Amino acid sequence: MKKLLKASDMTKIVFSTLIGVVILFPIYYIIAGSFFSIGEFSTAAPTIIPTSLKLTNYIRALQETMLMRFIINSFIAASVGSVMRMTVAVLCAFPVAFLKFKGKDFLFFLVLGTMMLPSDALIIENYLTISRFGLVNSYFAIISIYLLAPVQMFMLRQSFKTIPHTYRESAVIDGCGEFRFLTLIVLPMARPIVLTLTLQSFVTIWNTYLWPLLVTNDPAMRTVQVGITMLGFAESLDYGPTLAAIALIIIPSISIFVVFRKRIVEGISSGAIVG
Amino acid sequence: MITNDAYKGNSKQHALFSQGKWELGFVQRVKPYLFFIPALALAFLFSYRPFVKTIVNSVGLVNYSGRILEFVGLENYLNLFADRNFQTSLINTFRFTGMFVPINLLFCLICALLVYRKRPLVALNETLFIIPMAVAMTSAAIAFKALFNPTIGVINHILGIQIEWFNDPAWAMVTIVVLSIWMALGLDFLLLVAALRSVPLHLIEAAEIEGATSIQKFMHIQLPLISPTILFVVSTRVRDGMLLSGPVLVMTEGGPYRSTQTLVYQMYIEGFKSGNYSKGSAISVVVFVLTFIMILAMFRFERKGVFYQ
Repeated sequence: MKKLLKASDMTKIVFSTLIGVVILFPIYYIIAGSFFSIGEFSTAAPTIIPTSLKLTNYIRALQETMLMRFIINSFIAASVGSVMRMTVAVLCAFPVAFLKFKGKDFLFFLVLGTMMLPSDALIIENYLTISRFGLVNSYFAIISIYLLAPVQMFMLRQSFKTIPHTYRESAVIDGCGEFRFLTLIVLPMARPIVLTLTLQSFVTIWNTYLWPLLVTNDPAMRTVQVGITMLGFAESLDYGPTLAAIALIIIPSISIFVVFRKRIVEGISSGAIVG
Repeated sequence: MITNDAYKGNSKQHALFSQGKWELGFVQRVKPYLFFIPALALAFLFSYRPFVKTIVNSVGLVNYSGRILEFVGLENYLNLFADRNFQTSLINTFRFTGMFVPINLLFCLICALLVYRKRPLVALNETLFIIPMAVAMTSAAIAFKALFNPTIGVINHILGIQIEWFNDPAWAMVTIVVLSIWMALGLDFLLLVAALRSVPLHLIEAAEIEGATSIQKFMHIQLPLISPTILFVVSTRVRDGMLLSGPVLVMTEGGPYRSTQTLVYQMYIEGFKSGNYSKGSAISVVVFVLTFIMILAMFRFERKGVFYQ
């Protein structure tokens, strides 16, 4: 019996490793390709193993393009944006979880209702709003439509609700105001989820493409996702510097991902709906 | 005297207190609403107002600065549905969703079934399945563009085939489907694996004792119990399919011969390249309606096909 189980485990291991290798291949190719010379790209039989580990492509990617500027732009937008987004979400989730007042459910419903309106289908009007305010090519334009995060507000409310009501009662008796109760008691208690959601927001804003493409036309204001598609190397089939630029972006994100893997997996798994 | 003074003082204090209480009461009553202001302002400014404006624009003639010149009724829609270009976008959007959603679900289910039970190397396999989550769409799209490239790409070479991926209308969409699955895989796999792991083990063991095959176990125990997660995965991905634009913009720009042009891509082109805001808005409204119908259909299906414990 035990041997039989082992055999089924073996086939599973073989299959999943095969699939895993296929899934990993594009990432491998980005890193291997970042070391290819033009010659290695245009040979009749394309290779997948670089012959040398020269950093020429990396130097070209950094010197001939504004890659660093793009990265800095994205970093500013994503960090400022994610903090602002969490602030809005916490401020909205807090009264819903702790306070009693008229119209609470309706107001929260209004905010959550924006989930039904996909932002990609609203880009024309949102662009006109931004351009009317004269905000094209600004950091605020890049983050503007991401400041409202209904899903995160919902998750925050659920987590706030697990904080026992006795905390609030004793805080009220001790004369602790709403805002102090939020910053001194609720936020420290909900720290893990607040951190996870902030990290998630950072990634969301970092990864967006269509919206920043629309609201920036000055190369110096491009985010990394937009800038990377406009490096101009790939037209001549010289993918080396482009892949080097991509490698420079994904190596940090993959490292962070592997380090935080457990937390990310737990965050997602806890959201899974199971009957 | 003393009592009188005391009484006076007391009444004064009382008056002060009640006034303070009233002020406090007012502030207390308004305060909860103050917390809501940023969220409501954003919801109004970047969701509801543009939504209403999009609908209004779709029945009007809009100039370059976004002002409405006159109302034309349903003319924009009539023109839109008569437009061959739009018909192509509509068909392509459904073609993409029809390929992407089922293949993605099947593939993620297979991956989840391979690792949900404890065995050696589970952690490593899992990590390999979810690693695409760390790569942003544009980076992945450029890498896939290089991989599928007919002359320099390694996919043709490794598989020993000669497909002109980006010049052949029949195959260009396949590259976008492959890329989209690669990007969706990590998240959907995690959701499904978490659902499979939460299926009570005693049910599966009981079935095994009864001599059920793996397929029977899956069809009769696991599938019904994870159906809510499947519904979630399918409906979010259908929505993503209806809204597809990013990979198209980066990989194919709608070509060849518009074979990968989708609704949101065409909306982007009409709105920002041709400055035709009325037509762009009409396409947006079609996208809204389609997404909405799809979600409604999912919930109808939920009543029939989804089981909750």
